[in-house]
Amino acid sequence: MPADFNWAIGGEAGDGIDSTGKIFAQALSRAGRHVFTSKDFASRIRGGYTAYKVRTSVDQVQSVVDRLDVLIALTQRTIDENLDELHEGSVIIYDGERTQMQDVEIPDGMVGLSVPLKRLAEDAGGAIMANVVALGAACEVGSFPIENLDSALEKRFKSKGQQLVENNMEAARAGQDYVKEEYDHDFDDYDLETTDEDYVLLNGDEAIGMGAIAAGCRYYAGYPITPATDVMQYLTGRIENWGGHVVQAEDELSAINLALGAARAGARSMTATSGPGIDLMTETFGLVATSETPLVIADVMRSGPSTGMPTKQEQGDLNMALYGGHGEIPRFVLAPTTVSECFWKTVEAFNLAEKYQTPVFLLADLAMAVTEQTFSPEAFDMDAVEIDRGFVVDENDIGEHQTEKGQFKPHELTEDGVSPRAFPGTDGGAHMSTGLEHDEMGRRTEDTDMRIEQVDKRNRKVETATEREDWSPREFGDPDSDTLVLSWGSNEGALVEAVRFLEEDGIDVRFLSVPYIFPRPDLSEEINDADDVIVVECNQTGQFADVLEHDALRRVKRVNKYNGVRFKADELADDIKETLAAEAEA
Amino acid sequence: MSAFNAIDDEREIDREEFTPALEPQPTWCPGCGDFGVLKALKQAMPEVGRTPEETLLVTGIGCSGKLNSYFESYGFHTIHGRSLPIARAAKLANPGLEVVAAGGDGDGYGIGGNHFMHTARENHDMTYIVFNNEIFGLTKGQTSPTSPMGHKSKTQPHGSAKQPLRPLSMALNSGASYIARTAAVNPNQAKQILQEAMEHDGFAHVDFLTQCPTWNKDAKQYVPYIDINESDDYDFDNTNREEAAEMMFETENKLHEGEVLTGRYYVDSDRPSYQQEKQNIGEMPDEPLAERYFDEDYEWERSYDMFLDKHA
Repeated sequence: MPADFNWAIGGEAGDGIDSTGKIFAQALSRAGRHVFTSKDFASRIRGGYTAYKVRTSVDQVQSVVDRLDVLIALTQRTIDENLDELHEGSVIIYDGERTQMQDVEIPDGMVGLSVPLKRLAEDAGGAIMANVVALGAACEVGSFPIENLDSALEKRFKSKGQQLVENNMEAARAGQDYVKEEYDHDFDDYDLETTDEDYVLLNGDEAIGMGAIAAGCRYYAGYPITPATDVMQYLTGRIENWGGHVVQAEDELSAINLALGAARAGARSMTATSGPGIDLMTETFGLVATSETPLVIADVMRSGPSTGMPTKQEQGDLNMALYGGHGEIPRFVLAPTTVSECFWKTVEAFNLAEKYQTPVFLLADLAMAVTEQTFSPEAFDMDAVEIDRGFVVDENDIGEHQTEKGQFKPHELTEDGVSPRAFPGTDGGAHMSTGLEHDEMGRRTEDTDMRIEQVDKRNRKVETATEREDWSPREFGDPDSDTLVLSWGSNEGALVEAVRFLEEDGIDVRFLSVPYIFPRPDLSEEINDADDVIVVECNQTGQFADVLEHDALRRVKRVNKYNGVRFKADELADDIKETLAAEAEA
Repeated sequence: MSAFNAIDDEREIDREEFTPALEPQPTWCPGCGDFGVLKALKQAMPEVGRTPEETLLVTGIGCSGKLNSYFESYGFHTIHGRSLPIARAAKLANPGLEVVAAGGDGDGYGIGGNHFMHTARENHDMTYIVFNNEIFGLTKGQTSPTSPMGHKSKTQPHGSAKQPLRPLSMALNSGASYIARTAAVNPNQAKQILQEAMEHDGFAHVDFLTQCPTWNKDAKQYVPYIDINESDDYDFDNTNREEAAEMMFETENKLHEGEVLTGRYYVDSDRPSYQQEKQNIGEMPDEPLAERYFDEDYEWERSYDMFLDKHA
């Protein structure tokens, strides 16, 4: 019996798939089990199929796998869509009394449990609870104590009255009892044991929002866009408690400029968006950089170009984050690799932005943003959060940064490239700043020498940061292996598991997960020392592979996925095996 | 008590303080209306009682964008069309600042038109001066959003076929709570209107007619002018939305017939600003967002259970 249990509910959009899945995930989390969820919009057929998948174990789980143990199928299509993942002994729960499910085909070797979901729900108080009846049935199959479902139901329905909560509890038990009484099958294969552990369940967008508050962000401006909207929704109603404010802008052009305005006034500030929004925001990147204003810009990537596939995974904006905007724009690009890293990289992004007075891109992706994952609270140790606002001067020390005539120098030429900042409202600090090339005082200039001095000074900040800060990759697998796998972003979880699968098959792999895209660690030695180098990413062209080849002056192998679905651990293990085999043949 | 020491500094203010040591003399063309805006602004500041150190002037791109260089204060010369979001967010972050945004008619009514509508709609507590010369000056004379029909330029050689935009009506329909038009050739009225606009609690829009003798007509483009609040020929209540709308419509029509009407068109002193509205519903803290929270003695409680409900 595998240590993990894979469960899903699928049906048509509007069937309450998401909320039912979330209730189950919460119940598992409350029972002290680790959870990793994914939303499956993958479609081999046209039309509205959606599923919420939960992988759970007593150990931390970091990816999805190609295996489904229990499936609640509200439509025949849910079964068809998941044939590859279902296996011998998989349990399919469905409502055989529904007209459209009467002729359901349960594949050979699988267990079909026909449960009258709708009828039992009606008996408990309303057909709308049919999914909860199914949850009860699933609890029976997984030997999961149904009491754990109760607190999740209470949380979900409490605001609508105690009666509804009790009806739902009853509905769940009706499902459980039905399976117990009608099916003489031994489901002991699955035993979802509970623990006393205390977990939090959150997704990457929420972790970014949480990181922003912890880092002292006081101003957020955004425009709703999938899959970044959760950042704004998380902050709304919370950030006020820490002296901050969220603004819903008229468009993304406004959002980034709002964030810039608040930053110039002296508030830590950020915006978050996805590809189409980043396109609009690109206009302002150069002004942020030349005016040397700290700003955190999060791009939660989705499938592009244009409107693309808004609810699907892709890591296609790396080049945009690295090179977007005309002229040469100094910047930092961070790409968190896990949901909890979304928190820490956001904190880091704010500190980098203010220490070096540059735009900092936080490149997250949809797979992470919509994944609910459990963590121990210790993963978010607030005492470890440090805030460094950089070189800010006030009325007491401003005199050291003025010309002989008392003019403040916001773009003072310094050895490390970092100049003093004076917030408006500070005596002795009045100055202008501009997107035009300027001198130390912020006055426009076309003086050829000053142009070079200022361009070099801005880029010197990047050099300084490259030396001063830690840009190390995250290391997994066998450090002595001749096979080096490199990746970035949310692929880390699936790769860590894939490395373990490969190890079981006797294949040792060294895996470096790179959270810093620019500046990035110099990996040329690691790349040139390895026999095989494989770069894994969710895009077609291999944007990260390109920059690594450029760094190391060596060709690498590429594993790319761009069908809109995130990598799965077992699939990745196979991909790496195939790549190595092809190399051996060649 | 603000964390910023220049805010609410009670002292005598001389208008010469607003002349920068570095660029005291503007480089606008002789006879340009932009001089009039600069002069009126410098004169209005001491009346409003704000110093250069507590004033933030945000500009767009165009001849008008050079205003920063010739006006001593905290200044931010931004990008084309985006001065308003930057200015209104700065004001929200530090309400103790006097925030003024300025730009041309192309900047504010063209490329930045959406921000103009929404900043007015949200009634941010700030002043927006639009240098309206009915032409693109810095790029040497192309048709602008306010150029009249039939206006010939290098880009519309057969005369503009487009209806000019109606800036006053647009401000009113969008929700601005103070709307005025003045002209560079009318320095006293201009100074008074800028003063009122800055003192107004809410979004104050000033459509400032700035003649362009180089690329448009001549230095006397907006002469003579009539002050509608003082002229006996016009009688309307500028606190009445309907009457204001009618007066604006007439004014916009007459400009293209050669008659220059100016004055205060709409004043709503009761409407709360964005910040007040947000504070009333608990979405905006009382303390400024911009603060010295980097001070070592600043502490705030950060524990995960304040950020997250357990188990979500």
